[in-house]
Amino acid sequence: MASPRWHWSMPNTWFCQAPNPMRKVLIYLFALVVAAYVLAPVYWLAASSFQSEREIVSVPPHWIPHEPTLMNYAAIFRDGDTKVTYETRKERDPASGGYIPSTARDLIPGMMNSLIVSVAVVLLNLLVGIPAAYALAMIRFRGRMTSIYFMLTTRVIPDIALVVPFFLFIQKLGLMDTLWSLIITYLAITVPFTVFILTSYFESVPDELDKAARVDGCTRFQTMMRVYLPLAWPAIVAAVLFTFLTSWNEFLLALLFTQTIASQTMPMVVASFTSDFTISYAFINAAGVLAVIPPVILAIVFERYIVSGLTAGAVKG
Amino acid sequence: MANIRFDQVTKRFASGVVAVDKLSLEIADREFVVLLGPSGCGKSTTLNMIAGLEDVSEGSLYLGDALVNHVPPHARDVAMVFQSYALYPHKSVYENIAFGLRMRKFAQEEIDRRVKDAARRLEINELLDRKPSQLSGGQRQRVALGRAIVRQPAVFLMDEPLSNLDAALRISMRAEIKALHQTMRTTFVYVTHDQAEALTLADRIVVMKDGLVQQVGTPDAIYERPRNVFVASFLGNPPINLLPGHLDRAADGLVFRQGEVVVPLGRASSEKLAGDANRPIVLGVRPEDVHLDPSGPLRGAIQSVLPVGSDQYLGIECAQQQVFFRVAKGQAFRLGDHVAFSAATARLHLFEQTSGVNLLHEQP
Repeated sequence: MASPRWHWSMPNTWFCQAPNPMRKVLIYLFALVVAAYVLAPVYWLAASSFQSEREIVSVPPHWIPHEPTLMNYAAIFRDGDTKVTYETRKERDPASGGYIPSTARDLIPGMMNSLIVSVAVVLLNLLVGIPAAYALAMIRFRGRMTSIYFMLTTRVIPDIALVVPFFLFIQKLGLMDTLWSLIITYLAITVPFTVFILTSYFESVPDELDKAARVDGCTRFQTMMRVYLPLAWPAIVAAVLFTFLTSWNEFLLALLFTQTIASQTMPMVVASFTSDFTISYAFINAAGVLAVIPPVILAIVFERYIVSGLTAGAVKG
Repeated sequence: MANIRFDQVTKRFASGVVAVDKLSLEIADREFVVLLGPSGCGKSTTLNMIAGLEDVSEGSLYLGDALVNHVPPHARDVAMVFQSYALYPHKSVYENIAFGLRMRKFAQEEIDRRVKDAARRLEINELLDRKPSQLSGGQRQRVALGRAIVRQPAVFLMDEPLSNLDAALRISMRAEIKALHQTMRTTFVYVTHDQAEALTLADRIVVMKDGLVQQVGTPDAIYERPRNVFVASFLGNPPINLLPGHLDRAADGLVFRQGEVVVPLGRASSEKLAGDANRPIVLGVRPEDVHLDPSGPLRGAIQSVLPVGSDQYLGIECAQQQVFFRVAKGQAFRLGDHVAFSAATARLHLFEQTSGVNLLHEQP
């Protein structure tokens, strides 16, 4: 294959001019700066999670741990069972000089809660979003555009404006301090977005594929499942990532509806570490690394699906 | 039995646009019917209604003896080939062809037998493992045909299936489709805007415009006896020459007159239109229905010479407009030369000026 002068990563003609070595160097330099800006905090988080409290606060900071230690992680997984009080706070010092927070043992249950909520929100999103998007994209019915715009409008309203109605709703249903309170409200936030991206994607699939499938003997539902879903992987992956990350990171609503570890999610537990008797950066950073792992795994797993061009060849191309 | 009957069928879209207006049409079992018309005339909508892809707004549509207004596409025994081929990009050629059979729960051996039969017939048996994106346009079109023929449907629908192919391939595929109709012995409904395709393929042509049927008939009848100006000008390449003027009386019957141009209309036409002298009319003369005649009434200076291999067409300035006439290719013509033609009176078409209706071949 001849190397193309145009490539998807070159969105405008500015990049298509004859290669100029100086320009290339500048582009790489710029990319490097952006990458460093994005990755440096993550690196510091990871590096400092392997340092003792004393090493973290040293000046100048150690970008590479001089005395790497797993004590912070050990504290999360091992010491979680003991109750920490003001009096005992220094007794099981995990990293010489740090303190483990009183809510340390909530970390693992909190992660489990986050995982349950996020996975449930993702699955329910797909269950509701895929048929809704297919219908909106393929069936011409009265009020179709209005429905699409109405759903988008709900995303224009900031979450904080919905807090009071959400609160009353959850309270009246008796769902306070349950995982359901989070699942229901997160669905309200994420479903419009899922429907919107899937609708746009389905609309980009040639109309004649839908007709061909139905003439070939598919019901509407079979057309959706057997023709549209296999083609919509990139959009579905985008929707899954968005809903998972939104649910995994959400703070405001979780703060309102959860009170105990019966329903508290990871962000709640990590946040509580900063409002304790004292603060251990080493411990918080170790918790932070754990919080980052599931989304990273998700991104790695789906990375190869985040490609478009699957419809190439469907119609004259 | 797979005759198709439209009884006063209207299709109105949500936007209020009437795509098909009170269509009544009967298509016989095993007939090859071509729906012909410009884009937006309602021909594809008509086809989609047969497939069940569009609802019928008013009227009744029958497949065989069954009313199918509310029968979904998967419950109708129809197969369809699309202009864009509409192959499933994620499935191999084999699976594309097999899909319709799988959906209808055929046994695997039967699917395999039919897919391989169809592939052999369409000469795509080497391509069964490929994906559609690895095929050329002509190959994709064959796969799309294969997908339809394996089903052995009662009705075979084609929506401009050859429009995306290059000219040479289009001609050879035309012949294949015609052969397919003869071997499959099933009803074909074919949509096109290409008059040559319609004339080649059809048992009967349905000419449509703005949702209304203009004329239904054999290719010969449509070409020779067009019901109105639209049908006359839609078929034929180059198109029929249309000269506005009026009827006038002369010594030996009626003539067409426009200023200096006086064309005798012959006895049969004169008798038929005897009472209509002075009526404004449009005279239609097909480019091939004239011959060189130094004393002929259709005369003018040559403005263009268009050789087409077998013949040549002369564009001449006549009756204040450009008209095209066919001449044999042997003679040499120069721009600016004056030439004169006579028309075969039996082959002239006369249309009413306002409505465009054919005055000689009015149909009920």
